Amino acid sequence: MSLGTQGHGTAAGLVTPATIFVVLTLLVPLALLFRYSLNAFVPGQFMVDALTLENYVKFFTDPFYTAVLWRTFRIALLVTVICLFVGFPLAYVLARTRSRYKNLLLIGVVLPLFVGNAVRAAGWMVAFGAKGVVNASLMGLGVIATPLDIMFTETAVIIGITAVNLPFMVLSLQSVIEGIDRSVEEAAFNLGAPPWRMIGRVLVPLAAPGIVAGCILTFILGMNAYATPVLIGGPRFQTMGPLVYGQFVEQNNWPFGGAIAFILMTATLLLTMASSLLLRRRRVAD
Amino acid sequence: MARLELSGLSKTYGAVTTVRDVSLDVPDGEFLVLLGPSGCGKTTTLRMVAGFVDPSAGRVTLGGEDITHRPPWRRNTGMVFQNYALFPHMSVAENVAFGLEMRKVPKPEREQRALAALGLVRLSQYAARLPRQLSGGQQQRVALARALAIRPDVLLLDEPLSNLDAKLREEVRVEIRQLQKQLGLTAVMVTHDQEEALTMADRLVVMAEGAIRQVGSQQDLYERPADRFVAGFVGRSTFLQGRVAEPGVFQTEGGLRLACDPAARSGPAVMAVRPEAIHLHPGAEDNSLSGTVEFTSYLGPVLELHVRLSPTERVVLHMPNRGGTPAAGLGESVTIGWPRAAGMVFSEAA
Ligand SMILES: Nc1ncnc2c1ncn2[C@@H]1O[C@H](COP(=O)(O)OP(=O)(O)OP(=O)(O)O)[C@@H](O)[C@H]1O
Ligand SMILES: [Mg+2]
Repeated sequence: MSLGTQGHGTAAGLVTPATIFVVLTLLVPLALLFRYSLNAFVPGQFMVDALTLENYVKFFTDPFYTAVLWRTFRIALLVTVICLFVGFPLAYVLARTRSRYKNLLLIGVVLPLFVGNAVRAAGWMVAFGAKGVVNASLMGLGVIATPLDIMFTETAVIIGITAVNLPFMVLSLQSVIEGIDRSVEEAAFNLGAPPWRMIGRVLVPLAAPGIVAGCILTFILGMNAYATPVLIGGPRFQTMGPLVYGQFVEQNNWPFGGAIAFILMTATLLLTMASSLLLRRRRVAD
Repeated sequence: MARLELSGLSKTYGAVTTVRDVSLDVPDGEFLVLLGPSGCGKTTTLRMVAGFVDPSAGRVTLGGEDITHRPPWRRNTGMVFQNYALFPHMSVAENVAFGLEMRKVPKPEREQRALAALGLVRLSQYAARLPRQLSGGQQQRVALARALAIRPDVLLLDEPLSNLDAKLREEVRVEIRQLQKQLGLTAVMVTHDQEEALTMADRLVVMAEGAIRQVGSQQDLYERPADRFVAGFVGRSTFLQGRVAEPGVFQTEGGLRLACDPAARSGPAVMAVRPEAIHLHPGAEDNSLSGTVEFTSYLGPVLELHVRLSPTERVVLHMPNRGGTPAAGLGESVTIGWPRAAGMVFSEAA
């Protein structure tokens, strides 16, 4: 009995620093931010104390801002879907390979994360710019007459964020697939399941925890992407992350910036929760 | 239920040949056991039948159809895996019905057939459970029911009992054998446990280093082993190294002269003798030797004695335990012997 209480004491002692850290660095700033978002903004006077929903109303009534929110959501969703479909085969191969070079392959997958966002974006520019490698080759081969607009488009941003998020998806999936016994797949084949039925009926259901985790991670990262849309999307391409930053730093409008930040956070949270609830419901119904 | 034929089946990984020219004919309804030491290619052979390993050479024919290069899902073989390989996210009933689901059997019929298959292994009452809620033995019986439910042309079992404890092993062993007979199934089982192999098989195949050493009944393998390896692998034997000096005389390296089959080829050879073929106090036996008891061990139905015959040679003998005081104690000098026919001679001439 005394052991039990002692154990509890130790556990509490172990988590206290982490708790304090989270409260100080995350919850306090968030609370402050929320308070600011209810303040008023008077040009020239910076921030005026108030308790108003004005900033939120402004966001949802201006089609420009709702369009930004919708675009951000669309990009995050597409990126998540692409990551899932590209990442799953990759994760499968990684999980099942008996090659001596498995660790090298793993490093290859996370390699993009070793390169900073700015460096990566510069790379994309070299590849996809009007005078970039892709356009130069295509024009040189006579396939196209005028350079393709790849940079500064939504497509470019989606490709860019996908490249950043893919490793997270692959790692989430790979660890779960590694835990699935290979002989279970063979049993399915043996019982008459062709590969696609084996995948649908055995592999995917068993990998579901990894799929959910990977999708949530990718979606959150996609919704909140900042550097990639700014660097690859160009100055006139707006998503939620850069919008928040712009309000704070360029417009000095902290209340509105705070409101947008909260809308972004809430939207991300709600969509994530809704999708996992939906998934759970479907799995129970099965 | 069909006849299975393997002809010239081989598998090579890079420079290493793990299965070499295996040819077997398994008639309809036979229970064939592949027996051999670890790494001899048993699993690889079985997996070539199931379609998980693509043969480098040779053919697999099932029910008269060449299935050598057919994918596993179009073969109708029923495999039972060593680690059960049940689908952890499906109930026992769903597991058993899976093969029928893949064959597009309508739901009511497949539920009924799954229940019937579960009935065969006496697990109907566990239909709604998840595999992890069952014991190891029950899980393996579910796996068996799952393989039987599809009415396979051949049942393939890869060490199906090795994860079970001794008592359960015996139970499931009997269960598999009874069902196989009752359903008239052709079955191929892989094991490295010779007791399991001897008790279950209609016919046995002994493999070593990827090749078949001998095919035959229990009696064939035990009484007429094809070579030294089989003599040592199936049952126990004492091996005496030496040469056939003249027709019917085997001279051991330690200098013993033993009577043997007059047909044995002269030259370097090894003689194998089964422990129960050696008698204490031989009568009119063909070989009679004196030695010292060096080791005794009480095995229940038999007593085991190790008797030294020469500085380099010692034989193991089993004598029936008739109770009372042991016939020979440690350190005692004894006379032992065995009939001429019990000395199996394998020529080792290059
Ligand atoms: N994919 C593979 N690549 C290379 N070598 C392999 C492969 N699969 C099996 N082998 C080799 O083939 C040989 C035979 O393997 P197999 O699994 O058939 O043996 P086994 O008789 O079933 O042994 P055990 O009783 O230990 O299960 C082994 O030496 C093994 O290392
Ligand atoms: Mg094996």
